[in-house]
Amino acid sequence: MPAERTNAPEPDLLQSVEQWMAGPQFRDLMTDEFPEDAAEWLDPVSRRKFLALSGATVALATGCNPSLKPAPQKKVVPYVKQPEHMLPGVPLFFATAMPQHGGVGLGLIVKQTEGRPIKVEGNPQHPSSLGACNLPALASALDFYDPDRSKSVTENTRTTTFEKLASAVKAALTGKAATGGESVRLLTEPTTSPTQIALIEKFLEKFPKAKWVQYEPVSRDNPRKAATAAFGKPLNAVLNVGAADVILALDADLLDCGPAGVRYSKDIGVRRRARTGRAALKSKDGVKSEELNRLYVVEGMVTSTGAIADHRLPLKPSEVENFTRALAAKLGVAGVTAPDGLSDTAKKWIDPLAADLQKAGAKAVVVVGDQQSAATHLLAHAIHEKLGAVGTTVTLTAPLDPQPTKPTTGWPTDDHTADLKKLVDEMTAGKVDVLLMSGVNPVYDAPADLKFADALSVVRKQAGGVALHHGLNADETAAASNWHLNAAHYLEAWGDVRGHDGSISVIQPLIAPLHHGKTFTELLAAVLDYPATDGLSVVQGVHRDLFAKAKRSGSFERYWEESLKTGVLADSALAAEKPAAVKLDKLTELSAPAIKDLEIQFRPDPALGDGKSANNGWLHELPKPITNLTWDNAAMMSPRTAEKLKIQQGYSFNTYKGGERGATETDIVELTVGGRKLEAAALVVPTLADDLVVLTLGYGRTKAGRVGSPDDGPAPGFDAYKLRGTDGLWSAAVKLERTNKRFYLAVAGAYHAMESRRPVRTASVAQFTNDNEFAQVPAVSAAETYAIRVNTPGTVENFEHLKLHHPHHGDEHEHEAHDKRLFPLSLYDNNPIKVTPPNGQKDNANKTYRRWAMALDLGSCTGCGACTLACVAENNIPVVGKEQVHRGRAMHWIRIDRYYSIPGKKLQEDDLGDTRVTPAQRAERIKESAQIKVHVQPVPCMQCEKAPCEVVCPVGATVHSADGLNDMAYNRCVGTRYCSNNCPYKVRRFNFLQYTDYTTDSLKLLNNPEVTVRTRGVMEKCTYCTQRIRNAEIEAEREWNSPARPKDRNGRPKILDGEVLTACQQACPTGSIAFGDMSDFDEKAHTSAAILRWKAEPHNYGLLAELNTMPRTTYLAAVRNPNPDLEKALAAGKGA
Amino acid sequence: MAQLFPKSMNVVMRVGLLALPLFAAGAGVAGAAFFRSDYTTGAREVVEQPVPFSHKHHVAQLGIDCRYCHTSVYDSAAAGLPPTKTCMNCHQQIWQSADLLGPVRDSYAKGVPIAWTKIHNVPHYTYFNHSIHVNKGVGCISCHGHIDEMNLVYQSKTLLMEWCLDCHREPEKHLRPVDEVQNMRFAAAGYTDATGKTYTSQAELGRELKHKHLVREAAVLTNCSICHR
Repeated sequence: MPAERTNAPEPDLLQSVEQWMAGPQFRDLMTDEFPEDAAEWLDPVSRRKFLALSGATVALATGCNPSLKPAPQKKVVPYVKQPEHMLPGVPLFFATAMPQHGGVGLGLIVKQTEGRPIKVEGNPQHPSSLGACNLPALASALDFYDPDRSKSVTENTRTTTFEKLASAVKAALTGKAATGGESVRLLTEPTTSPTQIALIEKFLEKFPKAKWVQYEPVSRDNPRKAATAAFGKPLNAVLNVGAADVILALDADLLDCGPAGVRYSKDIGVRRRARTGRAALKSKDGVKSEELNRLYVVEGMVTSTGAIADHRLPLKPSEVENFTRALAAKLGVAGVTAPDGLSDTAKKWIDPLAADLQKAGAKAVVVVGDQQSAATHLLAHAIHEKLGAVGTTVTLTAPLDPQPTKPTTGWPTDDHTADLKKLVDEMTAGKVDVLLMSGVNPVYDAPADLKFADALSVVRKQAGGVALHHGLNADETAAASNWHLNAAHYLEAWGDVRGHDGSISVIQPLIAPLHHGKTFTELLAAVLDYPATDGLSVVQGVHRDLFAKAKRSGSFERYWEESLKTGVLADSALAAEKPAAVKLDKLTELSAPAIKDLEIQFRPDPALGDGKSANNGWLHELPKPITNLTWDNAAMMSPRTAEKLKIQQGYSFNTYKGGERGATETDIVELTVGGRKLEAAALVVPTLADDLVVLTLGYGRTKAGRVGSPDDGPAPGFDAYKLRGTDGLWSAAVKLERTNKRFYLAVAGAYHAMESRRPVRTASVAQFTNDNEFAQVPAVSAAETYAIRVNTPGTVENFEHLKLHHPHHGDEHEHEAHDKRLFPLSLYDNNPIKVTPPNGQKDNANKTYRRWAMALDLGSCTGCGACTLACVAENNIPVVGKEQVHRGRAMHWIRIDRYYSIPGKKLQEDDLGDTRVTPAQRAERIKESAQIKVHVQPVPCMQCEKAPCEVVCPVGATVHSADGLNDMAYNRCVGTRYCSNNCPYKVRRFNFLQYTDYTTDSLKLLNNPEVTVRTRGVMEKCTYCTQRIRNAEIEAEREWNSPARPKDRNGRPKILDGEVLTACQQACPTGSIAFGDMSDFDEKAHTSAAILRWKAEPHNYGLLAELNTMPRTTYLAAVRNPNPDLEKALAAGKGA
Repeated sequence: MAQLFPKSMNVVMRVGLLALPLFAAGAGVAGAAFFRSDYTTGAREVVEQPVPFSHKHHVAQLGIDCRYCHTSVYDSAAAGLPPTKTCMNCHQQIWQSADLLGPVRDSYAKGVPIAWTKIHNVPHYTYFNHSIHVNKGVGCISCHGHIDEMNLVYQSKTLLMEWCLDCHREPEKHLRPVDEVQNMRFAAAGYTDATGKTYTSQAELGRELKHKHLVREAAVLTNCSICHR
């Protein structure tokens, strides 16, 4: 029995600013089941009308319907000729890849049922994915079925055909060959596709004076420029963050954004999970606490990476360069001197940080965000060289993007933004009459000072001018062009793409193009008079050439098939280059000055990115990591900055209105950057750097579709591109003025607060070493702690109590598995279910059935939201819209709680803020951005063994299954909402209105046929992806007689560990979720399923376990690895 | 004032009052009976099909294996309806000009599938899986009845949830050796297994097979999420 602990670390945990302030409305909120309004009927349809309508429905159902037949006759339509390999009702999986940011691909496995791609998953064999997935990929399935996708080829808004378009382009180009295509320009998004590059090169051979400009609003110009300056060519840095002991992220959201975010998350994740068990260490679930990596994050915004940092320094983005300079100088990089003007806190960081980096040496890595100046990137290269990290944590390869085979005259260059500017100048000067644009939307997202739309109209008005837009949507640029070609989505077209390390994947279509779209490759092939212009022939042709060039053995056909199957072309990763010494001579030239006063930073939105997917309801509704903002972007600022600028937000003490729960009432501010003005809502986010406004890109579209730019209301968010100019692409000086207008933002999250019951538990390595059971605290008494431990499935005590052999213990147990919990644990006598004894064997009579369980490791969870989105895609969860999120009716089955904690003396006395500290003192403490730590915690249904929801359901719609699931029979639910009222975790979601779209045809195709589509008036919640469990079970059970199917310890067909993955677990980029059968262990072989290894850790704890709900889902407390020297240095100043 | 009702009305009234609960109960019983009736459940209702395909002819008289057409029954939730190609395998050779087969030939020539009317309608929130049932030894006949005697197929069982549960509570009543699943004439009494043991009743065989086939406990098989997801 663990001893009572007195000095356990226990900071205040605040779910929202509001909770911190503990205002009266927060207290009201705590007493309600749902936030105010959630259960109210406030919709345009009046109550009376509703009653009239429902009366009519009853009349129709009873009086007018001549028959009581349950369902009308349905048709069933078989194939004429059934395709090979296809079993009706059994999904197929295909490997493909999705080109993402920078044209870099993420390898995917896409699930197809009856010919429809419905779910995107990571490809375990692809180096950029390793089986995990990210938000853009998960959401791409909805993009594919977007009812507002462009469905036709148009010429000046008249519908025409692809053939006519191709011949028009060819006609326009025929005269140009003589001049070498001087007035022909291609403008595409960056690409790494070998096929597209090959075709464009062919095009440029034919028209040598034509130019190919690549452009993307979230450009990677700065790293490219820095690499060219350092090594003479734009080498691509591939990081091996898994090998790094010390990681310094400089304004780099390396886990969320960037081409390799998924892979880096995976690599970092393993080394953020502390483990003590031998089996756990052997299986690489995590590492020993002393081997945890150390993550320093210096950033202005608070990102997912910042949330899991060991040390986080809020610093204005434009000051990061100076910080890096000071660090480089301290590390002894030749030719770099420490700059002046660094803040005191930042100065305190330099010495301990430099020492730590030096100590790690080759096992350190510095990651710089794309939005940082090229000089910062250059300094990082120098630091890597100095530390000897090149070759261990940093590998430099040839660039992923195309390199011109011939030297170009002047441009295009490494600087895509400069290229775009040149292009616009030419267009304006009337020097361009054929402009082919693919995958770009510059009218919306080009820097505002370029005035791209005006330049485009010049091209269009030229005699015979062709301004062609090729894209998925008839967007802003399509409207300003005279030709539009509807693009084929990556799920319906052939193509290829390189991963972050250069590995080539072939993109294979899962379905014929829904709207007969074409890829840019197909257009080029048609223009270049290829004999076969279909995607497959072109892509295969290019790879046949590559195959021949590489002199591979074997037949091409075999190689091709094999590549399609695995999703990666064998040995296609780019080889490491041995670069020359880093040259720092261009440091001054590439430097960007620090901004003195208020600074604005533009960032890609964590959900919407640069705005291409602005018509995607899944992404709009997903609470953004850390801020929990949905459906809008906002001018985010720290509490101190907000105070200075007199911003009034909900939590403000004197004018308490609204607040951060569903509807956050806030000011609209006017931002002025270089004479350009924009009005945007303000949002106060603690932990942001002071004197900084962060505005994310991608919102305020005008021609996105019914979600991104609805006809009957304002478009979500504020168009940051209107402010963004070439002079300050990422950071700029800004003037901010409060207007008298107010705005409601939909901030999800805080209305599910669990008061201060230590939902999130963390400790430092030192504390963990001292007491690895630190998470088992809610100690009223040691006896109570013990009781809770015994009742928490998977804990050591629980195992001992059950007389089960614990996977951690080396000694042999004599006891047969015997589950004593029959009576104490459940309302139902027959739970857990006993296994039928095989004939004649009586001793097995008490063996238990499968026991599904989940564990989440808070050490590596970044709160990125991939789990939530994967769950949405898997379980047909509807989008409810901003208005409904306001009222706390969001439907996500996994919410990600975000907590702020202020270390130091506990300020709150009791749960609901009987405070010893005055509001004024509290208001002061929340401003200390550097002091506040962020914690994230995903909360799905806990599948309590003693589920409070089950006992209150009057119709038995939610009951326990034998294997421990808290089943939800949707069709039985009558919508009393008692269950939700009784749920201490607030994880049940109610369909207050008809949220599921039954009318839009294309969206019906997206639904997962394995999951019931819920209608209005039904409660729903996480079921551990019961459809996946049941299907795996059926597969195993029906092989009862097959020698290939191993038997479990009870002689039943065994579902192997990892055979059932929940959607969230599968998508999780850091691998923070374990799921499996708790009965899956072998005493003799000392092996057990991952879930048991996780749950057996001493820092495994149950959320609100003290309520004795016995949650099957448990958490592993976060173990952080702070640098004691830095802590000392930071503390030193405070006393003085 | 004269009595409005004769004295005998007292008796009528008393009997009437006594009968009232009986009426109420009767209405309940009638309602329940109606709910379970063939009319409501659609059982025994012969439905017209685009092609009057006779299972009786193909199964009983020609002896074609169920799996010749319902190919995925052992591997998938759906047993699978034969593509037109399957019909044409034979009917390119025999009866190739029969009028009744016109829609089949049309479908094959034009590439337009035949739209059959679905007979066994399980609600969309119920996930019935053929493969697990046949692999565990539940005979086709248990749910589909005597297909071999049907000219046009009709639904022979109610398909109500209570009907499903009858078997999920006591699977032994319907279990048979896996290789006898398709047998429409199988009888447990008198069945001799590979070891030479002869069974006298379904109860005896069912008990044995429940262990052998590792069929799960009723307490598992009656969980909501076994069928509802």
